[in-house]
Amino acid sequence: MKIKYIQHTKDVSQYSELSLLKRSDKTDVVFVGYGLFILSMVLISYLLGVLGWLPFTADDMDMDLMMALPGTGSHILGTDFLGRDMLTRLILGIQAYFLPGLLAIVVALGLGTFMGVLSGYRGGYAETVITYINNVTDSLPRLVLILLVVAAFKPDIYIIMFVVGLTNAPAVASLVKDKITFLKQKNFLEASVALGLSTRTIIFKHILWYNCRTLLIIQATLGMAEAILIETSLSYLGFGVQEPTPSWGNMIQAGANYMMRGDFWPSTAPALAILLTVLGFHLLGDGLNNILEGKRRK
Amino acid sequence: MKVSAIKPITFVLVKEIGMTVLLLFGVSIIAFLIILASPGDPFAQLYGGLSGSEAERKALYESLGIPTTWYGQYFSWLGNVLQGDLGNSIRSGRPVLAEVVSAGINTLYLTLGALIVTLAVAAPIAIYTAIRDNTRLTISFNLFAYMISAIPVFWLGYLGIYLSTHLFGFFPLGLGSSDSGNIAKFLLPIFILGMGSGLISEVVRHMREQVSRVMNEEYIRTARAKGAAVWKHAFKEGFLIPVTEIMAIKMPFIIGGAIIIEQVFNWPGMGRMAWQAAQDRDFPVILGITLAAAILVRLSSLLHKIVFVSVNPRASHL
Repeated sequence: MKIKYIQHTKDVSQYSELSLLKRSDKTDVVFVGYGLFILSMVLISYLLGVLGWLPFTADDMDMDLMMALPGTGSHILGTDFLGRDMLTRLILGIQAYFLPGLLAIVVALGLGTFMGVLSGYRGGYAETVITYINNVTDSLPRLVLILLVVAAFKPDIYIIMFVVGLTNAPAVASLVKDKITFLKQKNFLEASVALGLSTRTIIFKHILWYNCRTLLIIQATLGMAEAILIETSLSYLGFGVQEPTPSWGNMIQAGANYMMRGDFWPSTAPALAILLTVLGFHLLGDGLNNILEGKRRK
Repeated sequence: MKVSAIKPITFVLVKEIGMTVLLLFGVSIIAFLIILASPGDPFAQLYGGLSGSEAERKALYESLGIPTTWYGQYFSWLGNVLQGDLGNSIRSGRPVLAEVVSAGINTLYLTLGALIVTLAVAAPIAIYTAIRDNTRLTISFNLFAYMISAIPVFWLGYLGIYLSTHLFGFFPLGLGSSDSGNIAKFLLPIFILGMGSGLISEVVRHMREQVSRVMNEEYIRTARAKGAAVWKHAFKEGFLIPVTEIMAIKMPFIIGGAIIIEQVFNWPGMGRMAWQAAQDRDFPVILGITLAAAILVRLSSLLHKIVFVSVNPRASHL
C-alpha cells in the first residue's frame, strides 16, 4: 500500500488513508443514508407482511370511516375509499414488488453480466452479436414490448418482471463490458494470466468480485426502483396486480377516481409511498456510485 | 465518379442507414416470434379444434397456402409489411397501416412537445449545476429533479386535471375533440408528460456530465483567456450534441410515458391504440404499433448521428 502511495502521485485520493466516510462528499453520505433507511423500511414491511403482523386485516372495511385522513381513530394513516386501513394496505403492497422486483434484478444482473463478460473478455464475434442485441432491445420501447407480451400471453406479474429483467440485461452488459475494457489496460490482468490463473478465477474473482461488485449493486438498486415504476404503470393500465390484492399501483389507480371530488388521500398516500421509495433507491444508487466509483471525486 | 469525390459524411450516413434497416429487421423478428409463440391457433376450428393432430394441421395449412415453418410465415408476413400491408385490425376491420399512421402523428405531437418541455426545464438546471458546483441551490435543484422523476406520471396527470378544472376552470381534453380551437387545453398533457415519466433527472445528469466535461476542455480555457464568448464555443459540443443524444436515448422512455398519458387524457394516439390492442389481443395492430415505435426510436437515433457527424468533422472519418 505504501509503495503505491509514493509511486502514483496523480490519483492520490484512490490511496487516501482517510476513511471512506470522511473523504466522500457530505451530500452523497446523506443520500446513501436515506437510501439505506428506505431499504430497511422495505425489508421490514415485507417481513411484517409475510408474518402477518399488521394493524388491521387488508380487506376489513369500516363503512363509517371512508377516506379518513391520517390519525383518525386507530387508523394511523387513515383509510381508503372503502374504509380499509391504509397502513395495512401500504405494507402489504410491498409484496407486489418485492419478489417480482428481485426476479427482474436477478435476471438482469445474471444475463447482463454473462453477456458483458462474453463481449468484454472474449471480444470479437461475440462482441458484435451482443452489441447488435443491445441495439435491438434499445429500439423497442419497454412498455410497448410489455404490451406486446401482455397481448400474446396475458401473463402474471412474475413473467412481466422476467421480461423487464431481460430488457434491462443489455444495459448491465454494456456497463460490465466497458469496465472490463477499462480493466484490460491495467497490468494486473496480464499478470494474472502470466501467473497461470485459470480463466474462471480471473473472471469471477479478479474481474467480477473485486472490480464489478459495486457496479452490480448500484444496478440492482436502480433496477428495484424501475420495477416499482413499471408495476405502477401496468397497474394503471389494468395489467398489473389485480384488486383486492393491494399494490401501490392499483391503490393509486383506484383512488384516482375519487380525486376529482377532492378526496386526495386514497391515491396520494400510495403515490407518496412510491415517491419516497423510488427516491430512496435512486439516491442510494447514485450516492454509492459517487462514493465508491468516484465520479465526483476531487 | 471517383470514390474520393464523395464526401466522407455520405459514407457515414449510408452506414448508419444500413444499420437502422438491420436493427428494424431484428425488431420485426422479435415482435413476430412473441406473437407466434402465443397460445392458440387461429385455424384450430377448421381441423378439429384442440383434438386436431399435427398432421391434420399441416395438411390444412398447405391447402390454405400458409407456410408451415415459422420462418416461412415470418417472411410472408415481412413481404406484406414491406409492401405496406400490415393486415386489418381484428377489432375495427380497417387497415392497420392507416390507423397506426394517423395515431402515430398524434403521438408525435405529444412526444415532441414533451421533449421540448423536458429540455426547457432540465437544460437550465443541468447547465447551472455544471457551472456552479455544490451550492445550496444546486442541491435543491438536484433533489427537485430526482423527486419529480419518482412520482408516477398518471398521478401527476390526475393532479393536473384536478388543478386545471378547479383553479383555472377548464377541462383538459385530448386532441381531436370538438373543442379543438383552444390550444391551451392540449398543453397540459404535453406539460405533464414532459415533467413526469422519469426523464428530467436523467437528462439533468447526462447533460451536467457533458457540460462540465466540455467546460474543462482546453479550447474553452483558451476562449475564456482571449475574451471570446465562451457560450459560442461550448454550444456545439456542450449543448447541441448532448441534446440530440438525449433525444435518441430517451425516445423509448418518452413513448412509454406517452402510453400512460394518452390513457389519462384520452389522447387518440398510438399508446391508447396499443392499450386497446393488448386488451383485445388484436395482433395485427400491436405488431404495427411495435414496428412504428421502433421506427420512431431509430429515426431519432439517426437524427442524432447526422447532427453528431455534421458538427464534428472528426467523426466523419471512417
